[in-house]
Amino acid sequence: MTAENPQTRHTPTPEDLDQHIQPHMVIEGIPTKRHTIDIVRKFKEEGLFRFGCLVIMTTMGLAIFGWLDHYDIYRLWPFDPNRATGNVSVEPPGFLEIPGLLWKTVILGHEPPHWFGTDNAGLDVFSRTLAAPRTDMTIAIVAAFLSMFIGTAFGLVAGFYRNALTEFLMRISDLLQAFPVFITAMILVALSGRNEFNIILALALVYTPIFIRLTRAEVMGQAVRGYVESARAVGNPQWRVAFGHVLPNSLVPSLVQISTTVGFAILLTSGLSFVGAGVRPPTPEWGLMIALGADHIILGEWWGSIFPGVAIALTVFGFAAVGHGLEEDYR
Amino acid sequence: MVAQPKQAAPAPTSEYVLEAKNITVRFPIEHGADVVAVRNFNLQVKPGEFVGLMGQPSCGKSTAAMAMLGLVRPPGVIDSGVVNFMGRNLLTMMEDDVRELRGRDIGMIVQNPRYSLHPMLRVGDQIANVYRAHNQVTKGEAWKHAIDMLRMVGINDPERRVKAYAHELSSGMAQRVLIAIALSSRPRLLIADEPTSGLDVTIQAQFLDQMWDACRQTKSAVLLVSQNLGIMANYCDRILIMNEGTLVEEADVYSFFKAPKHEYSRSILRLQRAAIESGGADAAHIDEKAAPLIEVKDLSKLFPIRHSKSKVHAAENINFFIRPGETLGLVGESGSGKTTVGRCVLRLIEPTGGEILFRNRQANQVERVTDYSTNEMRRKRAKLQIVFQDPLDSLDPRWTVDRVLREPLDLHTDMTNEQKKARVIELMKLVGLEGAHYYALPREMSAGRQQRVSIARAIALNPDFIVLDEPTSALTPETTAEIIRLLMDLSAKLGIAYLFISHDLTTVKFICHRVAVMYLGQMVEIGSKDQVFNSPRHPYARALLSAYLFPSTDNRRVDRTVRETLKGEIPSPVTENLPKGCYLYGRCTSQVDRCKSAPQQLTQLSDGRWVRCWRVAQGEI
Repeated sequence: MTAENPQTRHTPTPEDLDQHIQPHMVIEGIPTKRHTIDIVRKFKEEGLFRFGCLVIMTTMGLAIFGWLDHYDIYRLWPFDPNRATGNVSVEPPGFLEIPGLLWKTVILGHEPPHWFGTDNAGLDVFSRTLAAPRTDMTIAIVAAFLSMFIGTAFGLVAGFYRNALTEFLMRISDLLQAFPVFITAMILVALSGRNEFNIILALALVYTPIFIRLTRAEVMGQAVRGYVESARAVGNPQWRVAFGHVLPNSLVPSLVQISTTVGFAILLTSGLSFVGAGVRPPTPEWGLMIALGADHIILGEWWGSIFPGVAIALTVFGFAAVGHGLEEDYR
Repeated sequence: MVAQPKQAAPAPTSEYVLEAKNITVRFPIEHGADVVAVRNFNLQVKPGEFVGLMGQPSCGKSTAAMAMLGLVRPPGVIDSGVVNFMGRNLLTMMEDDVRELRGRDIGMIVQNPRYSLHPMLRVGDQIANVYRAHNQVTKGEAWKHAIDMLRMVGINDPERRVKAYAHELSSGMAQRVLIAIALSSRPRLLIADEPTSGLDVTIQAQFLDQMWDACRQTKSAVLLVSQNLGIMANYCDRILIMNEGTLVEEADVYSFFKAPKHEYSRSILRLQRAAIESGGADAAHIDEKAAPLIEVKDLSKLFPIRHSKSKVHAAENINFFIRPGETLGLVGESGSGKTTVGRCVLRLIEPTGGEILFRNRQANQVERVTDYSTNEMRRKRAKLQIVFQDPLDSLDPRWTVDRVLREPLDLHTDMTNEQKKARVIELMKLVGLEGAHYYALPREMSAGRQQRVSIARAIALNPDFIVLDEPTSALTPETTAEIIRLLMDLSAKLGIAYLFISHDLTTVKFICHRVAVMYLGQMVEIGSKDQVFNSPRHPYARALLSAYLFPSTDNRRVDRTVRETLKGEIPSPVTENLPKGCYLYGRCTSQVDRCKSAPQQLTQLSDGRWVRCWRVAQGEI
């Protein structure tokens, strides 16, 4: 822990230093920088956090494969998620059939079955469920990071310079937060047009106030710390104090919040598609799949909605679990 | 005190009130070796004796004191030993019997008075409850007893104060209520654990005087746990020194301060030793006739209060100057505005009025710091530096030492990376840091090393002037000695002038050439160190010096016939609270009617010092 551990570090005597200070500097005895990654330990020890990390890694991986498929480079899943197979409303195989089917497809190389069935248009639900993260994750992650950047920037300014202008900014942020997130996002998308770009903007806007609040609170706490005054005393201009000292020390709450925000942004993206204010069909997207399958549940075709629904639930839970785990560490 | 005790105390079977033998306290640790906090602790206390137990923080002194009551914080266990209290072993007695003793025969005063008082009960009830738990008396008698006790510990107007709640009392008053509770049933032994931490010196002296007098009256013995050498020297009869769980020295107070035997005891007395031997800061290298480096004229700072027209008068009409290479000490109690003055001189907070002159030695001209533009001020910070009180807080928690030290070079010089690295290492060597700390984060270093980093950063650009804002108050006595020594070396080597702000008069006496005393935002006396320390003239300066407990046994406070002190407490420096005339009016022992209405001026006396008291100026006192 402490810096003077004799095993790991060589402690130079003043004579050693004398040699180094003089002409051309070769510095020994100064330890190399080290990085401690707490997350590795956390991953090993905490089951819930591990589960969340695995979910995040899986969905991210699927998102990457989704884009590879989109540009026809490589397809991980058996069918094109956007093309009807001709087999309409096929029921997924039963539990007991799965080992046999796996044997046939993987070992014998037969035509793969529809693992999750097909919807009433003949689209393969399995392929679409796996391809969906390319839409959902991209929108959610870009929106969450965008709101974090905007939010921390405004939060820093609002916390560092307390005046009428920043107070006004905070009131606007309050106003935005007062509307239900879902309704605001829906109206914004409806007004600006249903495409991915507008959805990202709408999501970023509704999540920005959270980051403004978080950062501002932290900045206000940090700004009265001694090192801030000390930075000023050494001759830093105001902006360097703000960005060089206060901001790095105020980022942690936002970084913790980002995981949870991504999770909820996925939920919101799907929600928007479900009510018809999101991406256009037939883009593979979980909310859209649920919406398309929902009409047919009454006919007994449960598989169209259940599988994407489970996917959303797992993903949001995974992100929230990671966010929760990080938050615990931060406190 | 009409009450009868429930049972007669058994006649003491030995000459000691308390005798502890071989006490060992162990804290079991999960997945690790147990921590032995106290090892083979022996202690004897005679009736009416003041015994001091001292040592560094977390050396086990509080744990040892608690063990005297048979108490230990969970999960600790008292492994072995015997505590004989008036002939009975506390450690083998039934819990009920021990509880009977605690509070009646053994009183306890702990740190942090506010947390120790019940927030929902009147203080009178709290005193009465303890008294009634151990004595068969009626409520009315107990209440009367509570008033008597409050009067005995020196609380003005006890009939009114007895009805107060804890939050209505100042911390000095709360501490005195605690001692009243502890003494209410005239215990044979009082255990006081850091009873004055967090109190100002004048209040501390008031409180300890009261405790001393009250205990002499009730003939209680006292076990005083503290890390303050001054308290030990001035109030204790015998001293025990503890280091890492073991007693290393036991001696009576005079011989201890004259010649400590153990190596550890010597190291904690080092600062004082050095001060006596070398006489502290040497004024030889200062040119008495040199033009002042820094001159402050009529500086004042008022802080507005929200939703109110009145203001906090943090500093008023401050005048002083500092010569090149000189150290001016700024002393006063908390709330006297000394930190504000330090910040204003560097314009870290903008002064409300007055001007600050700085002699730029490169350009050989006098410049007005108060006229600098923001950018100019920023550049001048290379020459005007500050070291803060809390070393950990004043370093960016995410920055390694090399980054911290490089920052001033980045801002003010155009050195190459190589040169910066060389300079950083030179600085680290100058303040006595090892190369191993090059990439250390602040929290990985001890407080002393953190403060060294702060000092290295302050001297990085060869400043002419550094404000030292209580640089040693967060450090242990040993580290304080080292840091003070370092600061003096740097001043001598680099010719830096200091404004040394502190309430620790021992270090001030050691490092400073001249001393200014502040009270309620005003300077009441400025003079050379010898003038202020040996013959203070202003009544406040006299009281402050007299109340300050120097770690030395010549002229102990308890042996003085007249213990100079101030009445009451510092008023809060808000516009309408401030007295019209002399700010000390109401607390001063030599006040006359004219003091009430006549504002005081800082006047120079014939011996060169400045005093803000018209009676002193006219030679009346």
